Amino acid sequence: PAAAAGAGSAAEASDGLFSPESKLTPEELNQFKAKRFTLGQIPLKPPPANMLMV
Amino acid sequence: GGKSTDDDDKEDKAAQSLLNKLIRNNLVNTTNQVEVLQKDPNSPLYSVKSFEELRLKPQLLQGVYGMGFNRPSKIQETALPMMLAEPPQNLIAQSQSGTGKTAAFVLAMLSHVDPNNKYPQCLCVSPTYELALQTGKVIEQMGKHYPEVQLVYAIRGNKLQRGMKLQEQIVIGTPGTMLDWCGKFKFIDPKKVKVFVLDEADVMIATQGHQDQSIRIQRMLPKNCQMLLFSATFEESVWNFAQRIVPDPNIIKLKREEETLDTIKQYYVLCNCKEEKFQALCNIYGAITIAQAMIFCHTRKTAGWLAGELSREGHQVALLSGEMQVEQRAAVIERFRDGKEKVLVTTNVCARGIDVEQVSVVINFDLPVDKDGNPDNETYLHRIGRTGRFGKRGLAINMVDSKMSMNILNRIQEHFNKKIEKLDTDDLDEIEKIAS
Amino acid sequence: QRKGLQNSAEDATLKWFKELQDSAARCTQSFEQLNSPKDAQTKKLKLELQKAATIPVSQIASNSGSQLREIFDKIDKLLSGRQVVSGGKSVSTSMHPQGLDFVGYKLAEKFVKQGEEEVASHHEAAFPIAVVASGVWELHPQVGDLILAHLHKKCPYAVPHYPPMKEGTPVEEYQRILGYRVDDSGVEGQDSFLKRMSGMIRLYAAIIQLRWPYGSKQAVAPHGLNHGWRWLAQMLNMEPLADITATLLFDFLEVCGNALMKQYQIQFWKLILLLKEEYFPRIEAVTSSGQMGSVIRLKQFLETSLQSRQISPPKGQLSSTFWRS
Ligand SMILES: Nc1ncnc2c1ncn2[C@@H]1O[C@H](COP(=O)(O)OP(=O)(O)O)[C@@H](O)[C@H]1O
Repeated sequence: PAAAAGAGSAAEASDGLFSPESKLTPEELNQFKAKRFTLGQIPLKPPPANMLMV
Repeated sequence: GGKSTDDDDKEDKAAQSLLNKLIRNNLVNTTNQVEVLQKDPNSPLYSVKSFEELRLKPQLLQGVYGMGFNRPSKIQETALPMMLAEPPQNLIAQSQSGTGKTAAFVLAMLSHVDPNNKYPQCLCVSPTYELALQTGKVIEQMGKHYPEVQLVYAIRGNKLQRGMKLQEQIVIGTPGTMLDWCGKFKFIDPKKVKVFVLDEADVMIATQGHQDQSIRIQRMLPKNCQMLLFSATFEESVWNFAQRIVPDPNIIKLKREEETLDTIKQYYVLCNCKEEKFQALCNIYGAITIAQAMIFCHTRKTAGWLAGELSREGHQVALLSGEMQVEQRAAVIERFRDGKEKVLVTTNVCARGIDVEQVSVVINFDLPVDKDGNPDNETYLHRIGRTGRFGKRGLAINMVDSKMSMNILNRIQEHFNKKIEKLDTDDLDEIEKIAS
Repeated sequence: QRKGLQNSAEDATLKWFKELQDSAARCTQSFEQLNSPKDAQTKKLKLELQKAATIPVSQIASNSGSQLREIFDKIDKLLSGRQVVSGGKSVSTSMHPQGLDFVGYKLAEKFVKQGEEEVASHHEAAFPIAVVASGVWELHPQVGDLILAHLHKKCPYAVPHYPPMKEGTPVEEYQRILGYRVDDSGVEGQDSFLKRMSGMIRLYAAIIQLRWPYGSKQAVAPHGLNHGWRWLAQMLNMEPLADITATLLFDFLEVCGNALMKQYQIQFWKLILLLKEEYFPRIEAVTSSGQMGSVIRLKQFLETSLQSRQISPPKGQLSSTFWRS
């Protein structure tokens, strides 16, 4: 049925649990690399799998 | 059934109070104003609108908020500043159950304790072991971030070694054991007690011996000990007792909120037999989201039958029935309160006195009638009625299956002068509408 | 490049929200005939279909795993067009061309209502309801989108979205858009409103971390923890609202903080640190004295978590022994 049409938008694009680095903008990547996030600039896409440890 | 001696009533009072505590997970709505009678009418009267104004220890403020409270209840607005004032003031407070008395005196006890002193400083007496346990739970929750303060239960069966001295700062228990611990066994030094709380005074005086024992405990306490007494009702006998226990009191009263049918949507469903009533019930379940429902039947037999039918359809059903002991009834109510079962089926007699304000839908599978078959308006009102004009909206559905029950319904309508609308349970949209 | 906190959610988030609403609206149109039946027979069928969809959801409880499986199987059967027996009568969606759409819609609506009514007063009820919802979502994705649409409509904070006041909107209508119940007697009280919103957020937080244990093991979760990340990040990028933001952040973190911590590790702790040190003061700044309860609960949670470097698993989570019962 028609209801399934929600796909395709940004929120749905990252359907994996992690983001591939290639899918992130340089700003988003910088946020994940930095020691701290900047207020108001947390990426909505989940972090890449290789950036979970220090 | 049938026989109702005085003894039954006394046992019932404590049991009812316990069951009501167990079923409740919310404050009772009140719109009435508190009446205050101050010992010293010239001293300014404080009331608070927020817990911060009370300047509580941070651990206690955290405890209060951790329980999900946001602001003081009506009775707490006035009672808390009085109880926390320096020098301590004595207080007699009356308000119906569920208005926040227990939370208030628990907070007062916790505030007055000096955690560095390892001996009893607050004593609290309750009518029964089960009620004492409920208060103890509140102390533990509210004192969660204040682990230095310890609690012990003075109840029969809690045997201590001769000659020992209690280190816990708060002792909660029944009057008999508390008296023994203070007097005969000297586990507690009554001269060091700063706060004495007497909870559920109306239930207390209904129990043989409790009144005497409480007074004897009180006599051992120092003059400057703060005396606090709470009661849900205030007839002459309670009042006399209160004045003997609490000298120079401040007095706070909050009039019982009248139960009203104004905030309730009432409906009836026409059926031909109990099987049809059951079908109608299923349809109602299909149309509206019922977090919890209570269904009242006239006889134990119908209640049992209905519970069986509902279970067969896959519903999680609890059955409260007359022959159960208090502990069994308490267990059933607790499971229901925790949402393990979502439908509580019971008989008219056995749910007498239980506050169903927590429940969003009440279904009279059979209409309440007295032993002569006349409408029991009082029971109807208590079961269906809600307190507080801005209270939760309620929904009541009455099943009608004969000329006789239609006649009873009509008489109930006339008595309250409130229309009970007809509901077609084959039309889900219509049912959905009444619930939104 | 944007600077500082924003007043609304990102365009992409809002677009997604809107698309879900639109497709839900299209769905209701598609079963119009069945929904407003003209003849007695269709009316009867509608009744039976709706009961078959909603009653099982109302029966979900934390009693036993086997009971939950029975309920799940009933719903799955119904959505697969097979016969189910409900109240002694058997029905199937194949009895009407619009049956399947109708049932999916009613089912999704029911999951959300159950969260609103039941989880609001029993927080732990979120888990059994969520695990069934997640399983249904995995096998019948169209129902999942409808669950989101219903959820967003009743609780825009689940998007998260703080609907702005549009010029010309009557106050009552705006209150409704914000999620308040409004009727003849007026608008509902703040405590009751917050309680319902908490119920729905807790249900959402439970859904995104749970998988139906008997589903296919390979496929990814239909709406998994990446949405937990998205929700939290989006919340923290927006200016806080008094009372609501603190209440819902606490609800959300209490339910799925533990799962997010395990999943995103250091990146998750970066979120919590930012929340504690920079975002929390912003919440405090918009809080007035009667609203301290939710703020103190959140603060307590953040301090305990940062001190112990741990977030406890939520109370009421279904254990492995549950599934053997
Ligand atoms: N200030 C408050 N805000 C919210 N809930 C409260 C508050 N005070 C008490 N409660 C809750 O209301 C219910 C009744 O309170 P309780 O103190 O047991 O009343 P009482 O002793 O008068 O019967 C309990 O569930 C309690 O946790």
